[in-house]
Amino acid sequence: MNVAASARGRLALWLFFGLLVVFLYAPIVILIVFSFNDRSFVSFPWQGFTLRWYRTFLSNSALLVALRTSGMIAISTAIVTVALAIPASVLLVRRRFFGKPVVSAVMLSPLVIPLVVFGIALLILFNTLGVPLSPATVAVGHIVIALPFAALTLIPRLERIPVWLEEASRDLGATALTAFRSITLPLLMPAIISSLLISFVISFDEVVIASFVAGDEPTFPLYLFSQLRLPRRLPQVIAVAVVVMLLSGVLVIASEVGRRLSDRRFDRELRAPETLDEQLGEVMA
Amino acid sequence: MGYLVLFFLVPVILAACYSVGLLTLLPNDDYLSVQPWRDFLFGSVYLGVFWRSVEMALIVSVGSVLLAYPIAYVLALVAGRRKYTLLLIIIAPFLTSYLLRVLALRVILQQQGVVNSFLRTIHVLAADESIPWLFNSRFAVYLVLIYVWVPFVALPIFVALENLDGALLEASSDLGAGRWRTFLTVTLPLSTPGVIGAFIFVFIPTIGEYVTPLLVGGPDNFMFGNAIQGAFLAGFDWQFGAAMSMFLVFAVGLLIAVFGRYLNVRAVAE
Repeated sequence: MNVAASARGRLALWLFFGLLVVFLYAPIVILIVFSFNDRSFVSFPWQGFTLRWYRTFLSNSALLVALRTSGMIAISTAIVTVALAIPASVLLVRRRFFGKPVVSAVMLSPLVIPLVVFGIALLILFNTLGVPLSPATVAVGHIVIALPFAALTLIPRLERIPVWLEEASRDLGATALTAFRSITLPLLMPAIISSLLISFVISFDEVVIASFVAGDEPTFPLYLFSQLRLPRRLPQVIAVAVVVMLLSGVLVIASEVGRRLSDRRFDRELRAPETLDEQLGEVMA
Repeated sequence: MGYLVLFFLVPVILAACYSVGLLTLLPNDDYLSVQPWRDFLFGSVYLGVFWRSVEMALIVSVGSVLLAYPIAYVLALVAGRRKYTLLLIIIAPFLTSYLLRVLALRVILQQQGVVNSFLRTIHVLAADESIPWLFNSRFAVYLVLIYVWVPFVALPIFVALENLDGALLEASSDLGAGRWRTFLTVTLPLSTPGVIGAFIFVFIPTIGEYVTPLLVGGPDNFMFGNAIQGAFLAGFDWQFGAAMSMFLVFAVGLLIAVFGRYLNVRAVAE
């Protein structure tokens, strides 16, 4: 007998599951479909297939500039975030030191701070220091909120890499840095790539912090926000939204799948599971 | 680490100082004064906005958990080998743009939107009519926020259910308990930490929510985040805004102090 649910219960649960998937995906599908509707409102009736909204946005220079600004911010955010997250994660996984719980709490606290609060705190900081607002100040904020996500991607992978690999290389005469660079870093690479992608997507999508510290060069989400007041611009905004949504979706899903596959392969190669429990754990993970 | 201290802790502390005038930035700022705090706590409608946000956040969190629990249950205990593929299908929307998903729902719900125009096309609504509760309404805020959060909420509950020892369920059944009884006395209590963690993870950011009320809620349904933002970008009363945001930080800190042990961030990441 299946303890979790009766046959009818399972049917009901699967039905619910299906409905929820429809609920989650219907708005996205509707957005995509209507981005091809040849009508100046994003609504019924359907007046034929067109690519004109995609052409319009490709010739809208303000929009393209905003996309480029956001792209630059997101790339810098991704690189700096991961560059900071790697040493921090190594420290948290490999070293014992005084105040470690405090350090990891600080590391994770940007996850729970309301973004509005953090946005104004940054605004006050930059005002106090007299730093003019620019895309760079936006990147500073995005790095803070992306850091915990990057660290949480790196740490589990780092825990899987046994310390003795690095120790063996040290015994064979490598310096700490060489050992890290030639052993740990390559093994960490899948997690590094996914944390780069995740940081990029977080930054590219972020609007609240940007609304406080962007100055007069709008990021893509800010531009999008300002255009919502103009119904005439809506169809092209929708077209660009579709492109961005699909691209970011593909990026993140590819990195998630890649990371899981490589984690699994890595576990198989490195560690012959000793007990049944561990084998089960492996299958689950 | 230094980076976080410099650009995270320092700004938050500065904002706290600023809210009591230890630091002044604008010419009409008060110096060393609890006036902004007093204004906020005793003399304004904003405390009311705060409690409204708490109420709305409660409804959103409960709604998301109720929808997500069966999903997590299916994935963890019924789906078998396909569960990771199915889990990815559920969380994939969460991993794409939050802003653009809210935008998608706005396009569907608004007066000139997909739902209303469809109902007009099939003559359920007159040409200039639209469903009043569909857009710029409390309902719209709830719908959009639950839509946004459900995939995320399913994750910690899934982890809690997955770590459940299957033998416990079998033992309960062997001892004669029916499925409902097993669920109520074994499964549900053991997954409570995941549920509470998920609840808090939704509740905290939702109190300070800003984008969704702005895009689909309309001014009557603005939440605390909108109030803070308004003080800064429209009202130019920065100290008042800083006092409000510090109040929010304290509220969040209190919640974390009470429920922090349920916040299994690692479960969410992996």
